[in-house]
Amino acid sequence: MFLGRVVGEVWATRKVGDLAGKRLLVVQPLDERREPGAPKVTPVVAADPLGADLGQRVIVAFGKAARVATLGMDGDFAFEAAIVGIVDELDAPLAPAHWNEEHDPVRGAP
Amino acid sequence: MLIGTVVGNVWATRKDPTLTGVRFLVVQPFTLDGKPSAETLVAADPLGAGIGERVLVVFGRAARHAIGKGHDVGFQCAVSAIVDKMELQDGRVIGPVAAQDDPAPARAT
Repeated sequence: MFLGRVVGEVWATRKVGDLAGKRLLVVQPLDERREPGAPKVTPVVAADPLGADLGQRVIVAFGKAARVATLGMDGDFAFEAAIVGIVDELDAPLAPAHWNEEHDPVRGAP
Repeated sequence: MLIGTVVGNVWATRKDPTLTGVRFLVVQPFTLDGKPSAETLVAADPLGAGIGERVLVVFGRAARHAIGKGHDVGFQCAVSAIVDKMELQDGRVIGPVAAQDDPAPARAT
């Protein structure tokens, strides 16, 4: 699991059937080594059962946890990452300042 | 799951028998600054993506399921969707083909 910020949304027509109807968001991990505006890490795509907005900080889980969070059960589904929480508040005094911003300081509120 | 661009095909004659008939692609992960990622990955492709197309890549059990040959497949990375469009928070629209993307914005860092 990791903490990240929603930076985009993805659409696909040609896809494995069980991705149908799933909202897919692009999440950039919050990484201590990065400054805002200097993304280097590969962003992760996660299913979003909660309805996160662009710019919000989210908790992303992988594997069985992601499938259970999205569908309420584990099974054969063609995704393995999901947003399992939308962060209300984060208190991490030693983290870079932009972690503690509710919305991306580069773009502001959506 | 991650987004990547198909940059090549791979063929192998001597391989695990469970991989017979599976198509393999070389995929380069997408990064937000528009520069291609240094690392690439090999993904099985049940959908028929072509070189230059953007794809969604899944791992592990999800990938074995996407390949559609049961659980006992000697592979753990697969294409599960071909991307139509990706809208980013910075206003860029990323299309199905890397060559047609909006350029990454120049940001003060």
